Amino acid sequence: MQTLRTPFRLRAPGLGLALAVAASGALAQANRAEVIHWWTSGGESAAVKELADAYKAAGGTWVDSAIAGGEQARSTAINRMVGGNPPTAAQFNTSQQFRDLIDQGLLNNVDEVATKNNWDKILPAAIVGSIKIKGHFYAVPVDIHMPAWFWYSKAAFAKAGIAAEPKTADEFFADLDKLKAVGLVPLAFGGQPWQEKITFYAWLAHVGGSEMYLKLYRDKDAAMVMSPAFKSVLASFKRLHGYVDAGSPNRNWNDATAMVISGKAGFQIMGDWAKGEFGAAHQTVGKDFGCFAGFGPKSPYLVAGDVFVFPRTTDAAQIKSQQLLATVFTSPKTQVAFSNKKGSIPIRTDVDVAGLDSCAQQGVAIMKDAARQLPSPEMLISPDLEGALQDIITKFWNTNESVDDAAKAIAAAIKS
Amino acid sequence: MSAVMGRAPAIARGGSRRLPRPARVGLYAFLLTASVFFLLPLYVMLATSVKPMEEIRLGNLFALPVKMTLQPWAQAWLSACTGLQCDGIRTGFANSVAIVVPSTVLSILLGALNGYALSFWRPRGAQALFVVLLTGAFIPYQVMMFPLVRALAAMGLFGSLPGIVLIHTLFGMPVMTLLFRNYYTGVPRELFMAARIDGGGFWRIFAQLMLPMSLPIVVVAIIMQVTGIWNDYILGLVFAGRDNLPMTVQLNNIINTTTGERLYNVNMAATLLTSLVPLVVYLVSGRWFVRGIAAGAVKG
Amino acid sequence: MTPVSRPRSRVTRQLVPWLALLPMAATVLWVYVGSIAWSVRVSFSSSRTLPIPDFVGLRQYERLFSSERWTVSLQNLALFGVLFVVGCLVLGFLLAVFIDQRVKGEGLLRTVFLYPYAMSFVATGLVWQWMLNPELGLQQTVRGWGFPGFTFDWIVQQDAVMFAIALAAVWQASGLVMALMLAGLRGVDESLWMAARIDGIPPWRVYLSIVLPMLGPSFGTAFVLLAVGVVKVFDVVVAMTQGGPGLASEVPAKFIIDNLFNRANIGLASAASTVLLLTVLALLAPWLYARGHATRREARAARALAAREGTGEPAVRGVLA
Repeated sequence: MQTLRTPFRLRAPGLGLALAVAASGALAQANRAEVIHWWTSGGESAAVKELADAYKAAGGTWVDSAIAGGEQARSTAINRMVGGNPPTAAQFNTSQQFRDLIDQGLLNNVDEVATKNNWDKILPAAIVGSIKIKGHFYAVPVDIHMPAWFWYSKAAFAKAGIAAEPKTADEFFADLDKLKAVGLVPLAFGGQPWQEKITFYAWLAHVGGSEMYLKLYRDKDAAMVMSPAFKSVLASFKRLHGYVDAGSPNRNWNDATAMVISGKAGFQIMGDWAKGEFGAAHQTVGKDFGCFAGFGPKSPYLVAGDVFVFPRTTDAAQIKSQQLLATVFTSPKTQVAFSNKKGSIPIRTDVDVAGLDSCAQQGVAIMKDAARQLPSPEMLISPDLEGALQDIITKFWNTNESVDDAAKAIAAAIKS
Repeated sequence: MSAVMGRAPAIARGGSRRLPRPARVGLYAFLLTASVFFLLPLYVMLATSVKPMEEIRLGNLFALPVKMTLQPWAQAWLSACTGLQCDGIRTGFANSVAIVVPSTVLSILLGALNGYALSFWRPRGAQALFVVLLTGAFIPYQVMMFPLVRALAAMGLFGSLPGIVLIHTLFGMPVMTLLFRNYYTGVPRELFMAARIDGGGFWRIFAQLMLPMSLPIVVVAIIMQVTGIWNDYILGLVFAGRDNLPMTVQLNNIINTTTGERLYNVNMAATLLTSLVPLVVYLVSGRWFVRGIAAGAVKG
Repeated sequence: MTPVSRPRSRVTRQLVPWLALLPMAATVLWVYVGSIAWSVRVSFSSSRTLPIPDFVGLRQYERLFSSERWTVSLQNLALFGVLFVVGCLVLGFLLAVFIDQRVKGEGLLRTVFLYPYAMSFVATGLVWQWMLNPELGLQQTVRGWGFPGFTFDWIVQQDAVMFAIALAAVWQASGLVMALMLAGLRGVDESLWMAARIDGIPPWRVYLSIVLPMLGPSFGTAFVLLAVGVVKVFDVVVAMTQGGPGLASEVPAKFIIDNLFNRANIGLASAASTVLLLTVLALLAPWLYARGHATRREARAARALAAREGTGEPAVRGVLA
């Protein structure tokens, strides 16, 4: 009798415990979101942590799937969608990379969140153009990166006798000559095709001007490409080649930044992510290095960045998670915290940026002037055309191809 | 020659091929030079992995570290960031082992079986099949990605451990079959015929005669498969599923980054740590590179 | 074996091996033939990120052949192929032969030559990039030792970059070729050496006239493995040069993978991989036909021998324990 009763009595609280555990388990997995992204370095990890923490605070469960290398991460996300177990969210660039997915109906839209939070008003026009396709919002932007900043070493400036940041392209070339004269590498450069591409469209925007830039990337104006004005931009771009060192081909961008950090080189043209390298080397802006966003007070500000898309699903719980992610990512608090760690600037203009470093604050100030905002090429042209142009630029940079031939090649590429 | 072989006494193994003195010196000189060529990158990797980043930025590639530090190694194993988690590469270790062991065993077994069937039994049409198999080995994996993903998803194996083991076995088949088939063509056919006359069937001959005799080539096959599967990245990334991601995914997350900072010392340490498993396999496999196993079977 | 049971044994003789070969057959048909067929189908469509089931004829192929990048990649493949295969075979063979000479520390040496194969090229490729960089690596160091005229900047020269890549690739793969050759050498009977010594034949002649031919299968295996490595070469190029400087070190596998993923152009990538496959087949077909011919001849002879030996004395007994 005794033995029969005890197990029964024990079973009741056990049952209750089991129920409680099951219930808390279900709650813990509420708003479960698996997120694929490519932020894997130390600094990027800290930035993602801001997003994950904000999501957790809003009642969600963040399941991290990090895959280094943008191309790898995107193709893995696409493979997962094709294979039938898509993640809740996947990172892409603010670009046309996910257009095909939209066309094939593989993405959910986030119109509810967008209208509730007034995305049309608070986001820059360039970004809205990228994420709002056929009237629906298919991606949530999380940051704005500018790929065309100028970085310089204060020590190198001092050694070469350069007093101030150049305000025009001619002053820039003069500074490069001064650096060359004292035996420093004038322009730290990483000769990888994507870096050459960035340098080219940075140069086009800063020296050719916003109009010329848009005529090429937005309007695909072949006549403009064959004009003397464009050809002279090509020529001055090639002129930069005379100021890079012989070891520049194949170099990683961090190794080029290292040259600036150690004072061996004067300038680098690179995106605002370069701040991370300076920070890792414990250098401070204004003291050891400087940054400026272009020549003169009206220089264009190229807008690039990252977004998250939401693979198609009819699972109500997943949809709820997706919308929660979209809301959390764009909230002012998350934006500021994330931008601080990421080195980018917030996507909304209505946040307090006092906590960001001075280069970022420069960027935010410039962004307030809508006329200076330029969408990056990947927002305007397909990945295929971007790749074709990259091939032309890298060939032009590395060989003795004439300006005329390069212009012809570009015109042919944008026509097809 | 065969008459001589039958007649020559079994002299002690040493000294049957001693070269004259100057040739011996030349031999060692060549091996030394080759060793320098092979070891130079390893030296750079080791040196870089124990330097602090300030030294690495200065760029003196071959210089010994001024301030040696083992922190990159600790960081690589324990705390390097691979995404939201910053737990180093150790998290993928168990997964890699779970993937490598069954894949290696299965692919070698199947390769040996195929090679044996192809070179001794030669069923009709098998040669043509083998040619197609070999041609398939030349195609980069990525080309076959979409159809394979769909096929595996249809079988319910996409993103699972059995799925990735199946994929590795399938992709290992051409090379393993080639390896064993070519090895078995070097085995005297009289052996096989004698075994058949002794009453051996297909499986018995395989298990009792051919497999034991294949030790040197099995060692090579193990080296190739363990290395190939342990270092595989793309197949593991796509087919293993989030819970079974191999160590190479963590390694790639540490080393590769588009716009993040690169800690080269940690990267080198992580690479060296990841390659320890294949290296141990190489070291251990040495004792099986012995001579005369096949010869022993003929003489008896 | 009585003549009565022979027909049955012939059937089972065909059936049992085929049963064992079933996994291989399934793999061939499902994985390889199926994927190739799918890929060829896609190459006739306008697919971008995902497959689109339309038909555009040879448009992707036209685009492929007018692409300078593709032409350069094929040229590089040919150059790299020759350098890599010859380099690995020669170096691998020499290393195997030299190690086989009862040298001290054989185990250590074998590991020294084999360890590059254990390492993923993502990191070792970067090390090679650094070492071959004129400002950072060997050129700089040797100049620092007092040889100001020393140049070793292959990797930044358009014409010489493939040599640099081949150098790193040979470094990585010769160890495996050495292992293959060693396995083959260890299969050479010890008494062969005895006999040669008794007959007074110098060792190098033994190697040339006897061992080298006996290593035929090992060379064959090594050659095919290396050829596969050549056609699929990707990691080393991405790690060392990313296809640069300019387009100078572009290779077909990189062209295909770039278009598959980054450029969202799987139609073009499929066309490229189809062309690559056809090229491989065209090169392989004569060799395979010759081998198949030899194998068929051997098989016929073997069957004739088997028919005769049913009535003959067994050559060796007690092979199966």
